[in-house]
Amino acid sequence: MNEWIVIVGAGAVTFLARASFIVFADPQKFPHGFRVALAFVPAAVLAGIVAPGLAMPFGTLDLSLANPRLLAGLAAMALAVRLRNPLACIVAGMAVLWGLQALAG
Amino acid sequence: MLPNARREFLAGCRDIAPVLVGTVPFGFVAGVAAVGAGMTPLQGIALSFLAFSGIAQLVVAQLVAAQSPALVTLAAALVVSLRFLMYSAALSPHLAHLPQRWRVPLAYLMTDQGFAMGAQHYGRPGDRGDRHYRLLGTGITLYLTWQAAVIAGALAGAQVPESWSLDFVVTLSFLAILVPALRTRADLAAAAVAAAIALVGAGLPYKLALVVASIAGIGAGVLVEWGHRR
Repeated sequence: MNEWIVIVGAGAVTFLARASFIVFADPQKFPHGFRVALAFVPAAVLAGIVAPGLAMPFGTLDLSLANPRLLAGLAAMALAVRLRNPLACIVAGMAVLWGLQALAG
Repeated sequence: MLPNARREFLAGCRDIAPVLVGTVPFGFVAGVAAVGAGMTPLQGIALSFLAFSGIAQLVVAQLVAAQSPALVTLAAALVVSLRFLMYSAALSPHLAHLPQRWRVPLAYLMTDQGFAMGAQHYGRPGDRGDRHYRLLGTGITLYLTWQAAVIAGALAGAQVPESWSLDFVVTLSFLAILVPALRTRADLAAAAVAAAIALVGAGLPYKLALVVASIAGIGAGVLVEWGHRR
């Protein structure tokens, strides 16, 4: 029962966030400071999601070279900076991770 | 459909094709995570059809697994969906001329990748009259691919060996769209501060680390932007 409340609620929350300005608001009326802050939402949120996935894959911080996800992520990032191609970034990141895991046995 | 509208629609389907290589394993992981959290396959699939957001689905799965209160779970889903506010604000001037029967489905279909494509093609010169068909093509292609992948994951359950590290595709999918979002020094400051706080605050309960990290990162970006202007 509790799950269904969460499922319907999560649908409502995500839709309202998406619909917010497209459906309900007049884009001309946003205060300036708000627009400035909105511009940093993707960089901040995406970095907040990515950093733990690379540096603490199993719940504890591991910034060493023995962390294959950190190395694979850095390689994928370097490639993304050069190529600006999401496909290459994802494929290369997985390939490096699998390679390192195979080497580690 | 008029010929021009049809052409835009198909161009939208083609735009998104390179991203789908990440969408399929990511959706699969989201389906597996829902079932792994104790939801039934039907619940995992329903969550996906309603929320259509990988990160929101993963966060909900994590908090359902931890038996968090419903209100806390929804607050976390809201927090990780705040970036949609910004995408919505950025797209709204392009869609303001359309009737609600267009705006509601286009809002529902909006994703990180779809927004990135949409922002690109609205930035190009030329006739903008039929470009919402392109947005629709991108959105529908991504939606159908995503749901098929989630259904496969929810039905396969825990049969995927952990040694495949398929969950890393989630981090890589976001990395692939983070990098193009870093254009200015202020963007870099926002990302660096958010990353650092997300790591330091990882012990906070209920995914609060991401909330705190996002707010701190946004603040850092605004400060650098203001400092730069003076």
